[in-house]
Amino acid sequence: MSTLRVIGVEYLNARPLWEAFRGDAAAERGLGAGIVDLRLAPPSELARALAEDEADVGLLPVAAAAAMGELRLLRNMAIGARGKVRSVAIVAERPIHELDSIALDLSSRTSVVLTRLLLARRKLAPKLFGALPPQAIASIGDRTGALIIGDPALDLEDRYPYRLDLAEDWFDWTGLPFVFAAWFARPGAVSRDQEDLFRIAKQKGLARTDQIAAEHSARSGLSEESLRSYLTESIRYDLGDEELAGLQRFWSEGAKAGLLPAATPTFEEPRTSVSRPSLDSILLRAADGERLSASDGVRLLREGSFFELGLAADAVRRRKHPKGVVTYIVDRNVNYTNVCTTSCRFCAFYRPVGHPEGYVLSREVLGQKLQEVKDAGGVQILLQGGLNPDLRIEWYEDLFRWVKKAYGLGLHALSPEEIIHLSQLEEISVRRVLERLHAAGLDSVPGGGAEILVDRVRRKIAKAKCTSAEWLDVMRVAHHMGLRSSATMMYGTVDTPEERIQHLMKIRDLQDETGGFTAFFCWDFQHESGTHIAPGDNGTHLYLRTQAVARLMLDNVDHVGASWVTQGPAVGQVALRFGADDFGSVMFEENVVSSAGTTFRIGAEAIEKRINDAGFKATRRNVRYDWLTEPS
Amino acid sequence: MLDSIRQKVRQGERLSFDDGLALFHEPDLLAVGQLANEVREKRHGDRTYFNRNMRVEVTNVCVASCLFCSFAKLEAHMPGAHTMSLEEAWKHLEDRKDDPPTEVHVVNGLHPGLPFSYYEELLKGFKRIDSNVHLKCFTGVEIHFFAQHYKMTVREVLERLRAAGLDSLPGGGAEIFDEDVRKRISHDKANADEYLEVHRVAHSMGMRSNVTMLYGHIETFAHRVDHILRVRALQDETKGFQAFIPLAFHPDGNGMKNLPAPTAVDDLRTLAVSRLLLDNVEHIKAYWVSLTPDVAQIALRFGADDIDGTIVHETIYKAAGTRSPGALGYDELVRLIREAGRTPIERDTLYNVVREHPKAAAPEASMKVRDRKRALQVVS
Repeated sequence: MSTLRVIGVEYLNARPLWEAFRGDAAAERGLGAGIVDLRLAPPSELARALAEDEADVGLLPVAAAAAMGELRLLRNMAIGARGKVRSVAIVAERPIHELDSIALDLSSRTSVVLTRLLLARRKLAPKLFGALPPQAIASIGDRTGALIIGDPALDLEDRYPYRLDLAEDWFDWTGLPFVFAAWFARPGAVSRDQEDLFRIAKQKGLARTDQIAAEHSARSGLSEESLRSYLTESIRYDLGDEELAGLQRFWSEGAKAGLLPAATPTFEEPRTSVSRPSLDSILLRAADGERLSASDGVRLLREGSFFELGLAADAVRRRKHPKGVVTYIVDRNVNYTNVCTTSCRFCAFYRPVGHPEGYVLSREVLGQKLQEVKDAGGVQILLQGGLNPDLRIEWYEDLFRWVKKAYGLGLHALSPEEIIHLSQLEEISVRRVLERLHAAGLDSVPGGGAEILVDRVRRKIAKAKCTSAEWLDVMRVAHHMGLRSSATMMYGTVDTPEERIQHLMKIRDLQDETGGFTAFFCWDFQHESGTHIAPGDNGTHLYLRTQAVARLMLDNVDHVGASWVTQGPAVGQVALRFGADDFGSVMFEENVVSSAGTTFRIGAEAIEKRINDAGFKATRRNVRYDWLTEPS
Repeated sequence: MLDSIRQKVRQGERLSFDDGLALFHEPDLLAVGQLANEVREKRHGDRTYFNRNMRVEVTNVCVASCLFCSFAKLEAHMPGAHTMSLEEAWKHLEDRKDDPPTEVHVVNGLHPGLPFSYYEELLKGFKRIDSNVHLKCFTGVEIHFFAQHYKMTVREVLERLRAAGLDSLPGGGAEIFDEDVRKRISHDKANADEYLEVHRVAHSMGMRSNVTMLYGHIETFAHRVDHILRVRALQDETKGFQAFIPLAFHPDGNGMKNLPAPTAVDDLRTLAVSRLLLDNVEHIKAYWVSLTPDVAQIALRFGADDIDGTIVHETIYKAAGTRSPGALGYDELVRLIREAGRTPIERDTLYNVVREHPKAAAPEASMKVRDRKRALQVVS
């Protein structure tokens, strides 16, 4: 591979994309001299360098790129914003439609074209004149505004009474993100492997946004916190379908208005033989927020190394939850009955109908438990039990209404298995069961009992349980009714890596359809006395790897929870570095798992300490993952 | 900062105090772990050591009053105080005739009322039962106490005990070397210099030893780095330390019960930083009794290459509320190591290989399916 000549711009928001190419550290990551030769230049210089074959790849503003014609975009890397960008704005003493003239910072052609498009859309035609940044600001007067860009825009954020954020206005107009710049390459100049170098650089850079913000703060005097939120929340570094549509739209609006030549962005792949993607490439794509295939997932599960999976999952977690906050919920697991007709081989909790140890909790006992939840600041109960043929749907309806009326607690209740059981018992549809329970107060459906959503596995470990299609269908119906639910996976019985990935794919597919899953939790089969399945090798190592792969595969599920109740608080804490952004619940009791020998119990304070020690802020949440407290 | 540390590590350059501190403060835990893992794999590959050992704690009567200790009872007449007769102590080993340990590890309180001959007889008796067993007995603190109490030099104590059968010293009692911290948590036993001097003398006599660090109480990260660097300095001089063993503070039932125990992330980071700073110590031990087997398993990716042994009669951490079981079977240890994708190596105390087990056949998951099928046939 020959040395790749890369040219970037020295703007703050561009640093995360190229910074890793610089310095000694770059060399040892294989990003340094001899592999990538990075040069920094003013934006106006970039197009020339690419045109005259002085550079292979440039971080080109999109207006300049349109004018260049036959460049190809590198995948999924850009500098853009979906809504407010903060660093590109027209500021003025009056509303924009009252302005006679606007001074334009001409250093950014893209922003100038965008300004013209946005003004034309509002049918405004103030006089536009070019000015250097300090002059532009100086020329702001009663009826004169200024387009300001970069540090001055951030610095003067609250200075002027009127401010039109261009990316925000673009979003109001088109509903699309605005892309300011992206990596553009001369055709044929960058191989697929070389393209991976840019992904690596981006990931390294995004992991360093805190330091970049701090360094820039020291240089510019801007507040570090403001810069950090600018880099992590205002600017988006991805170039997905939406961003691409935004870019396409900008180029076509620009062409329509005669401001840009007609052009179409393209990723035009250099034609390569279809080869197995390398593990690195899969991990990079995943960390970059791209969707993985089932075969990618199997490779990761089988071959992905401990740290690489962890780091990639951590990168996805950071991308989805850039504020570094980990949530937990104060709730209580109430197992209202242990009588069950299913007799799953892995369950040590159930008792058959008529067994002397069978129970149904009385209102009195329930009431006491619920009051304790209230007293402890709890917000919901997780209500699950066996499939008890003596309990009819009216029993549940009465119970739910009573819980709501007397205690006002959230009801995260009845896993799909129990819903199906009720549907069969009452001879009514699953939909009808859910409608009636919903009307009685059901808030959300716990994702328990999913085990592995592959029928070969289900037949072996839980013959009497619902099929995977039935399980998914309950969730589908619930989601369409506006109920949310969680999703789970219990691996480590007879399941293969392929089957674990199939399980994740089924959840991902349904999520594409409904968007109703709030979070995903997984755990290994908890083997102890009383169950009838021998455990295979398992262990914390596999747990962390499995959770990381789940985080990488489930690109459309917002939250991944660490299952500390099954893995123990220590492993749960480490799991926060393997893709989890939720620490589950402060539980009072969890009979099913504890009858299989796992009896971890910790309080809110201990949970928060673990979250903090792992480097995150902690906050309480409700079942919809809304924050209930200020993260601390 | 991490980049420059990484570069140093890869070039085999020694890390400084500031580097150590920076590693403790580095927010990216996995990056620190990954670097420690690199060093670990360069030294040992996947090889992960354990042994068949047996703990015997013959007395918990102790003149010292360490704040972190839930084990010692100050005086012999106090409830719970117990001192084994020699026969009682020996019986532990005799009972293991069918499954003899390769090492007996003795750690005690500082008992003021026993004659020195008790300890000599203790060792002789163990050797009589099994002349091959390795006796790793008495911490540096105990040896120092013996010297003071029985009015001998450290060398004399070690020579007499060696004549009675002592083979090497365990690493307990190091706590934290920093003088101020040490004064506050354990003021009335060997200080840092005295502790290190015992090891210096032992090493000069050709004995090997281990060394520990008790972390997660009132000490700071700087104190931990200082502690580790003092170990490194003595090791430069003597090369006698075999393993460094960070020990997590457990708060139940001791003088610091109001403090929370360190969490897993701290445990893993401490192991990783130890691996990175101690470029002259061969082994970093994840002592499963202190960490729990689950965390010890993860620790095998954070710089540790040893998880101690089968143990059997541990009572010190038990008294401080560890969640760990008192013993792990041989097969459980093998499995624990294999589940972490490592190669289990049964060693003796001096790290000679006793038995090498095959690593889990890669890919890890496919092997499991086969095993499970077999297991299922048995139960169904």
